[in-house]
Amino acid sequence: MSELTERTKKYLEEYDGPEIRIMEVCGTHTHEIFRQGIRRILSPKISLISGPGCPVCVTPVKYIDEAVYLALESGCTVTTFGDLVRVPGSSMSLAGARARGARVKVVYSPQDSEKYASEHPDEQVVFLSVGFETTTPSDVLAVKNAIRDGISNFSILTSNKTMPGAYEAMRRSTDAFLYPGHVHAIIGTGICSELAVAGTSGVIAGFTGDELLSALAVTVRKFSEGKPFWVNAYPRVVTDEGSPAARALVDRYMQPCDADWRGIGVIEQSGVELRDEYSDYDSRRKYNIPEFKTEYKTACRCGEVLQGKITPEDCPLFGKACNPEHPVGACMVSGEGACSAFYLYGGKL
Amino acid sequence: MCVGLSAKVLSVKDGVALVDCTGAKREVSAELLDDLEPGDFVMVHAGSAIAKITDSDENQAAKLAKEHLV
Repeated sequence: MSELTERTKKYLEEYDGPEIRIMEVCGTHTHEIFRQGIRRILSPKISLISGPGCPVCVTPVKYIDEAVYLALESGCTVTTFGDLVRVPGSSMSLAGARARGARVKVVYSPQDSEKYASEHPDEQVVFLSVGFETTTPSDVLAVKNAIRDGISNFSILTSNKTMPGAYEAMRRSTDAFLYPGHVHAIIGTGICSELAVAGTSGVIAGFTGDELLSALAVTVRKFSEGKPFWVNAYPRVVTDEGSPAARALVDRYMQPCDADWRGIGVIEQSGVELRDEYSDYDSRRKYNIPEFKTEYKTACRCGEVLQGKITPEDCPLFGKACNPEHPVGACMVSGEGACSAFYLYGGKL
Repeated sequence: MCVGLSAKVLSVKDGVALVDCTGAKREVSAELLDDLEPGDFVMVHAGSAIAKITDSDENQAAKLAKEHLV
């Protein structure tokens, strides 16, 4: 360990200023902080709470029902990132649909899905377009390439979300955000500056051990100064302007919409959907999916976990009825979910 | 699904980059970055290079410490 890392670690261990609650917005941050053992060294004055930044965790039940409908009723080939397959819908997951004969295929990227569609013209291929600002440009590129290549058997089922609305919804749950570095590689730093002016603090963080330690130390140091703040602690990837090319691409093909966040509810203008002129590539409109008004009744408290109101260990199902082998809530299904991290790494280890 | 991977660019052609991610070689979209060249390091997300990596995390940590923690 370098001398600098040692000093940063010591600062976080010995911090004795005002108590601070820091929300890790990003599920990968939650996991990396656990995996690197950072929770173990934090002063008791520093609390970390997990936020809503795992796209699988915030995907609503009715979206899974729509995907199951496409797979079973419309006869589509549903392609998806692997961690959505076991997320429970109101009656079954996509894994359950696959067991009933549906074609559900795991792909690495939206482009792989579009390529699969080009190679299988006899199948109607749907890609489950779920994610934040980091993933949405790739989803749009797949649509753009399908249009360019004249591939008409490809469409996307959108549940793409944007973080600024979530920051606004969550800002009273925390003293400072650990902002997700890769989201800000796309959207830039302007929103952090605006939130700081409005009294909400945060630090943009990278994902290595050194980056997380230094971002946490900067957060604690700035917080102890007593004024709202923001810092870009990931400048090797995040620039102030972000990626204008990615934003322009998304703006051309998609428009803002209200979005339903599992466990949280609808946040106005916190999502994007395909514009009307690209409706042939919008699975929801292409296949006239019926409106699902599903309620998923369970004792699962993922919604409160996602808002930082409780830790996974406060949920009565955690580690008992809900575990990685038999997940009840999306936070346990996803490898990036807070419940998965607490189960894997043992809570406050 | 939401994990970013750092990778080294080996070649770029027609909006597609061949990258090396800790030994694994894979083609990713380079359409979001105009001026990619072999030797660049990039952050890859869901099959697209979304940003260039311009420094090491050690150097970055040193600069942050100097600016905010000393």
